[in-house]
Amino acid sequence: MSTYSDASGAIMPLPKARRATGFGGVVPALAFVGIFFVVPVVVLLLRSVLEPVPGLGNYAQLIGSATYLKIFANTFIVSGFVTVISLLIGFPVAWALAIMPGRLTSVIFAILLLSMWTNLLARTYAWMVLLQRTGLINKMLMGMGLVDQPLALVNNLTGVTIGMTYIMLPFIILPLYGVIKKIDPSTLQAAALCGANRWQCLTRVLLPLAMPGMAAGALMVFVMSLGYFVTPSLLGGTANMMLAELIAQFVQSLVNWGMGGAAALVLLVVTLSLYAAQLRFFGSQNPGGR
Amino acid sequence: MLLNFDRLGWWKYLLLAITLLTAAFLLLPIVFIAALSFGSSQWLIFPPPGWTFQWYSELFADPRWLESALTSFKIAVIVTVLSVLLGLVTSFGLVRGSFLFRDALKALFLTPMILPVVVLAVALYAFFLRIGLGGTLTGFVISHLVLALPFSILSISSALEGFDKSIEDAAVLCGAAPLEAKIRVTLPAISHGLFSAAVFSFLTSWDEVVVAIFMSSPTLQTLPVKVWATLRQDLTPVVAAASTLLILLTIILMALVAVVRKVLKQ
Repeated sequence: MSTYSDASGAIMPLPKARRATGFGGVVPALAFVGIFFVVPVVVLLLRSVLEPVPGLGNYAQLIGSATYLKIFANTFIVSGFVTVISLLIGFPVAWALAIMPGRLTSVIFAILLLSMWTNLLARTYAWMVLLQRTGLINKMLMGMGLVDQPLALVNNLTGVTIGMTYIMLPFIILPLYGVIKKIDPSTLQAAALCGANRWQCLTRVLLPLAMPGMAAGALMVFVMSLGYFVTPSLLGGTANMMLAELIAQFVQSLVNWGMGGAAALVLLVVTLSLYAAQLRFFGSQNPGGR
Repeated sequence: MLLNFDRLGWWKYLLLAITLLTAAFLLLPIVFIAALSFGSSQWLIFPPPGWTFQWYSELFADPRWLESALTSFKIAVIVTVLSVLLGLVTSFGLVRGSFLFRDALKALFLTPMILPVVVLAVALYAFFLRIGLGGTLTGFVISHLVLALPFSILSISSALEGFDKSIEDAAVLCGAAPLEAKIRVTLPAISHGLFSAAVFSFLTSWDEVVVAIFMSSPTLQTLPVKVWATLRQDLTPVVAAASTLLILLTIILMALVAVVRKVLKQ
């Protein structure tokens, strides 16, 4: 190794010249991801402006049609509802998990992980059966005298919202748990000493301190919901399509690659810009779902 | 006081109630499906009028269920092996290397994780139609690998970042060949990362539905695609039996992970 002497005469190593090392290791993955990820996605998006005729015709059609606009609206409304409900349920659960005594906490964590890891189709199937007109939920509601007629809970957006909230809950509880666990209890003690009552402690100290975690978790759940395919198409029925299913329909049933690519680009742009916002404001990257 | 469970007063019971209800909500479908798979009602009435193994025998009697399970397993194993190997080589490059656009490359490798899967599914479907990989085992493996690789790179990279390279250098100074030092010193030290990479890759492939729906052909389909196709026709309890087996596999894998984590920690 080449060296030089500094002012005091000590022998110092020369700063390493900047040269590329280790690039060879990433070449195989780069080739793989390039061929089987970047190229197919770029080609699909290009087809949205090239087929059937070059131009923005597909996008005009997408925006100009009431049917498609309703599908966009469905997608955003359901995702919004799922996010808000998950947050409302998830916050108290994460809070309780962060402060509850050990034994019960580990049981609930095991349940959270089990439900997260259980096959998505198995869980969605369970909800299809549970939410039927003759299903357990309707029977219980009628048994308790809350409703006279069975409610239509499946094949509509209510079903999608219930099924999706079920799937998203762990994704909001786990990160929130991490955030609340890190809050220093002495900040709340200080607030209490200064005369804040319990409600003030909650709204002026705990909630603001947990806010970055809530915002990051909510954004992630919202983005994941926007692109979800399986649960909406099984619980939503044909009349209540969401964006992901629209893309699949354009491609599979209608063989309209131009429109499929255009709808995919819309979903992609929304997703990536929300992730970019999350990275910018919260600086963390969370693994998404399907 | 809000972060001290015993000093929450009556709020304590409110929080506890919400948490227990949520836990029940999360557990309900899983227990329900398992119960129904043994129920004798074809119409999935709960509680069932009687108990039976009928749906399991129907499941095992139909060779297509078994075939699709084997297909799923085969694909998941190949994907796991490839994902860990490729993830390992890539992580060494990303963590140890220094070259232009290194961070950008890492971000690129992780993008499939955040992209809506349906976009990738449709894009690969079009691509494979053109190059003749649609409906083939290779097509399945490639598409599942695209989704599994980010998890692999993430797990192995973070394990490698936590490993002090000077230990490997010390082995080399003591006379080990560089590759030998990597295999005998570094690999065992990052084995927990390799293990997580393997489990995540396996589960990603085993549970994958969306891409698989587009990859499958009448002669080649994975278990989730078979479940999906059956569900589109009717809600037969045979699916409950198949789902219960899938859940059982999940519990076994979770237990395995817990045990291996404990062993690796010691």
